[in-house]
Amino acid sequence: MSNSVQIRSLNKSYGKFSVLKDVTLEVPEGSIFGLIGPNGAGKTTLIKAMVGALKINSGEISVLGKDPLKNSWELRRQIGYMPQSPSLYGDLSAKQNISFFGKAQKITNLEKEVDKILEFTELTGRANDPVRNFSGGMQKRVSLACALIHSPRIIFLDEPTAAVDPHLKQRSWELFKELSRKGVTIFVSTHLMDEALLCDKITILRQGQVLAVDTPQNFLARGKTRIRYEKNGQTHELISGSDTSSLAKEMQKIGLDANIAKIEIEQDNIENIVLQIVNRTEG
Amino acid sequence: MKHAFIIGARVISQLKGDKRFLALSLIAPLIIIYLLKILFDAIAPPPIPAIPGMMPMPIPTFSASKFILPVSAFIVHFLSFVLCAILLVQERTRGTLDRMLISGFRKISVISGYTIGYFGLATLQALLVITEAVYLFDFDFPFKTICILFLVIWLLAIVSVMLGIFISTFARHEGHVFPFIPLIILPSVFLTGILVDTDKLPVAADLAGYLFPLRYANNIIVTLQQNEYHFSDLWPNFLILFLYAVGLLFLASSTMKEKE
Ligand SMILES: Nc1ncnc2c1ncn2[C@@H]1O[C@H](COP(=O)(O)OP(=O)(O)O)[C@@H](O)[C@H]1O
Ligand SMILES: [Mg+2]
Repeated sequence: MSNSVQIRSLNKSYGKFSVLKDVTLEVPEGSIFGLIGPNGAGKTTLIKAMVGALKINSGEISVLGKDPLKNSWELRRQIGYMPQSPSLYGDLSAKQNISFFGKAQKITNLEKEVDKILEFTELTGRANDPVRNFSGGMQKRVSLACALIHSPRIIFLDEPTAAVDPHLKQRSWELFKELSRKGVTIFVSTHLMDEALLCDKITILRQGQVLAVDTPQNFLARGKTRIRYEKNGQTHELISGSDTSSLAKEMQKIGLDANIAKIEIEQDNIENIVLQIVNRTEG
Repeated sequence: MKHAFIIGARVISQLKGDKRFLALSLIAPLIIIYLLKILFDAIAPPPIPAIPGMMPMPIPTFSASKFILPVSAFIVHFLSFVLCAILLVQERTRGTLDRMLISGFRKISVISGYTIGYFGLATLQALLVITEAVYLFDFDFPFKTICILFLVIWLLAIVSVMLGIFISTFARHEGHVFPFIPLIILPSVFLTGILVDTDKLPVAADLAGYLFPLRYANNIIVTLQQNEYHFSDLWPNFLILFLYAVGLLFLASSTMKEKE
């Protein structure tokens, strides 16, 4: 499988302040690729560099085989970008916003496409309300629709689910999965560690540096399982790897002893693991 | 060009929908000119009673009409600049400018779109201001003069729109527009012959005055108020105003930040 995005030794600084440090990563075509990092990690900056909205200091970026700065005009037809802020016209309706940005490109049968995208993003019922009356989560949805109107091959989503209520958030991820099934590559940034599990591959970014790239399953495998049990009024703790076979091995050591009053098994979740990676390299 | 009209239509719909904004940009100039009328009436010298058997003495009168039209032009200039700059800064801070450019609109389309969007507003402003000034101050201009007057105020408004777009490049939020008012707009009141004749200015100030587009608009308006004028006196000033518009168009499109 080829890569939709390839970044090599990317550096970006504002004055003396270095925001991205030697970033290298590959985004497989058709995958949901998560960029996870705390606020200020450089996620927005990295995304802006990939959509060609930012000049970089050094390094190479290739999006769909093209340089986003030099070939920005060809790329604009193929990439979608959902900025971190809604970036909509409050006085226009959802429908008007989508068709306004859609008009930037030659889309055959734009009106039909707008209706299709409204339906896909479940906005049909409120299509004609001005978006200034929408909740933050709904505005993000309109923003997503604007980014999808020209059926891009790859879409960059900058914190699409931040400050979105749990129900809308879950629906958003269902939409991303559906897009991904249609073959669209999805690059999504988030500061919410628990969203890592929903991605095919994740990159952890902190202070402009890539700390780790892996699949969520492999990240989970890095975690530990704690077994706590009470025997004769005393608490004992065993630590095993996350996989089931090593857990079973540890359990055998305890045996089925009638004196064991209580067993607790605690597995690292993805949030803990990611936080451990972020914190380990701190300071 | 099609893109420019799409953006222009959006700007117009935004202007139409924002009643406060419309009221400010249309009613404010009318009120200011009315206040000027009151001011000029108050400071005009009382008529001298005619003494029987003597010819009435010609006295140097304060001529309000000399000021009112250039001041009207200034008001349109000022408002178009500020309002357009603020609207564009809003596009920047809300991220819609970035989104337009990444969606595939070109910078030149954005600027032309704004100019088209303001075209209607500037036309209305120019018409209203001239109508009120002519009515309140009893100007007795031939139709031709009124048409040229309209043309110059309107062209000045377009220059102001371009200037506003250009200045918006240097503002990160709306508040940043205001420092440019004392920097660019207010000096033009003093340096372009609106209040003080330029030949009474110190040389340096006189020369600095040539930088402001309002000077050329004022030149035209002053010429128009003479009993007789020739088109040859007008066109160089029109040409310079036009060049200002074109120059600022290019300046604005080259500085409009697409890439940080
Ligand atoms: N235009 C800019 N000028 C100076 N510093 C900036 C600019 N944009 C972002 N930064 C800085 O770069 C760092 C990364 O910002 P950003 O990419 O927005 O992080 P994130 O999206 O992960 O929260 C922050 O410390 C931020 O202050
Ligand atoms: Mg961000």
